Amino acid sequence: MTSIGTGYDLLNSIFSPDGRNFQVEYAVKAVENGGTSIGIRCKDGVVLAVEKIVASKLQKPNANKRIGSVDSHIGAVYSGMIPDGRHFVDRARDEAQSWRQNFKTPIPTADLASRMGGYLQAYTMYGSVRPFGITAIIGGVDTSEETPVDGEVGSGPSVGAGGKVPGKHGGPFLYMIEPSGLYWGYYGAATGKGRQAAKAELEKLDLPAGNITLLEAVKQAARIIYIAHKDNKDKEFELEMTWISTADGPTKGRHVEVPKELREEAERLARAEDESDDEEEEEKKDEDKMED
Amino acid sequence: MFRNNYDNDSVTFSPQGRIFQIEYAGEAVKQGSVVVGIASKTHVGLFAVKRNAEELSSYQKKLFEIDEHTAIAIAGLTSDARVLSNFMKQQCLGHRLTYGRPIPIHTLVGMIGEKAQINTQVYGKRPYGIGLLVAGVDENGPHLFEFQPSGMTEEMVAFAIGARSQMARTYLERNIDKFADCSKEELVKHGLRALKESLVQDKELTVENTSVGLVGLTEGPKGRPSIEPFKLYDGFEVKTWIESVSESQGGEGGEGGEAEGEGETAAEGMDVDS
Repeated sequence: MTSIGTGYDLLNSIFSPDGRNFQVEYAVKAVENGGTSIGIRCKDGVVLAVEKIVASKLQKPNANKRIGSVDSHIGAVYSGMIPDGRHFVDRARDEAQSWRQNFKTPIPTADLASRMGGYLQAYTMYGSVRPFGITAIIGGVDTSEETPVDGEVGSGPSVGAGGKVPGKHGGPFLYMIEPSGLYWGYYGAATGKGRQAAKAELEKLDLPAGNITLLEAVKQAARIIYIAHKDNKDKEFELEMTWISTADGPTKGRHVEVPKELREEAERLARAEDESDDEEEEEKKDEDKMED
Repeated sequence: MFRNNYDNDSVTFSPQGRIFQIEYAGEAVKQGSVVVGIASKTHVGLFAVKRNAEELSSYQKKLFEIDEHTAIAIAGLTSDARVLSNFMKQQCLGHRLTYGRPIPIHTLVGMIGEKAQINTQVYGKRPYGIGLLVAGVDENGPHLFEFQPSGMTEEMVAFAIGARSQMARTYLERNIDKFADCSKEELVKHGLRALKESLVQDKELTVENTSVGLVGLTEGPKGRPSIEPFKLYDGFEVKTWIESVSESQGGEGGEGGEAEGEGETAAEGMDVDS
C-alpha cells in the first residue's frame, strides 16, 4: 500500500495528494473482516440475514441478537465492529422517533437511509472522531397510505422541494450504507467477509425481475449465508434472520424475527444442498483419480 | 516494547482496520485478578479472587451490588469500574422511578455498552480499562453478560475474565452442560473450582481473598417466582464452601493440561496488582 509511511493515513479527515481519505479506507477493512450480512428485497417484503460467528462456546445460544429494529417497519443489520453497529442502530432509532414527532408519520426507509448516510459522513469530516467500522444494511416496508397532518393546507408547491409527488408510494426498500456515508438502494445487498460469494449468489436470483416471493427469499437468504460461510468453515456460526412483509403479508408490515420453524426449515434446506455439493466434489475427485 | 504509528489514540484505524487503543485496554482487563460468573435456570453466581496491595493492607473489592436484582464483578482498573458502577446504579434508580419496576438486565448492559463505545470513537477520550461480568435477574429469568472495553457486550452461560482466566474458561467449557440444572450450592462449587484453575501456583483460595455473590429467583407467594436479592458472601461466610472444594475431589476439576499456552504470556501470569 502506498498509504503507509506517508503520514496521510494517520488522521481522519485528511486528504492524500491523490484525493483519498485513508482512514475511511481502513474502516472498510474492519468491515471486511466481520461476519457476512445480507438483505433481499422482493415484491412483498424484505429479508435481513446475518452470519454470527460463535467466538466462544460459553456464549448463550441464540441470545445475542445482531439485527436491530429501528422502527416498527424498519430493520437494520451490520458487519464490522459490533459496538459501532449498536451505536448506529441507536442513532437510527432516534432519527425514526424524531421523524414521527415532527411529521406525525413513520419515517420512509429512503429518508432514514439519507439521515444515517449523513450521520456516517459527518464522522469522516473531523480529526476528533473516527469513521464507523461498519457497513449497514437497512430494510423497511413503507406504508402506501397517506396520513394527513393536522392543520395541513394544500399540497405544497408543484416544483422544487416540499410538494406532494404524484404516483405510487410505499412498498419494500433496501439500502446499504458504507463507512464513508455513501449509500445505494439495492434489490440484494451483501457485506462482510463472505460478501463476494454472497453477491454472486444474489445476482443469480435476478431480483429486479420480481419473480421471488418473500417466503422464497427467506430460504434463499439462509442458503446464501451458508454459502458465504463456506470459506470460514472452521468456525461455528449462528444464523439470524428477520423479515418485513407488506401490510397484507405474514408480518403485517412489521419488522420481526423469522419464526423459528421457518428458519430451521430454511437452514435444513441450506445444509442439505451444502452436503450434496460436497458429495459432488468428492465424486469429481474420485473420477479424477480414476483417470489418473 | 513494540510500537507503531497507529496506536496513539482511539480514533485512528490501522491499515488492517484495527484500533490498537481498544486492544490495549483489553490488556488492562487481563492484569486484574480473575472473576468467574455462572448462570443456572434459577440463579447467577459471581466469584472473585481479591488481591491486597501489601501484607498489611485490605483486599480490593471485586463484586459490587448495583440494584437489588443485579450486580457486577470487575477485572481491570478499579477506578474505571467505579465510574461505570455509579452510572449503572443511577440508571437502575431512574428506571425504578420512571417505570416502577427493576430494569431489565439487557437494557442496563446495552446502556454501558453504548457509553463505552463513544469512548472508542472520540478524540481525547480513552476506552474504559475494565471488563465486567454483569449478573442479574429480570422477567425473563437469570442472565449473565460480559462487558469489554470496546463496548462489546454478550450474554453468556458462564464466563471468566482477568489474569489467567483462560484456565477457568476451559473448566467452564468442559462443564457447561451441567450448569442449567445446578442448585445454588452446586453453582458455588463450580464457580470456586473454576477460580482455582486460574490461581498461580502455591496460591490458594482463603476466607480473606475469596468473594461469592448470588442473585436469583425463588418461589414467591402463590407459587410465582420472586426475586431473591443479590447477596454478597465474604470472609467466614465462604469458609465452608472453600473447604468443600479443597483437595478432596481430585477427579472432577481436571488438570487443565489442554488449556496451557493458549495465548497467555508470562507477563500475564505474574501476580500484578490492578
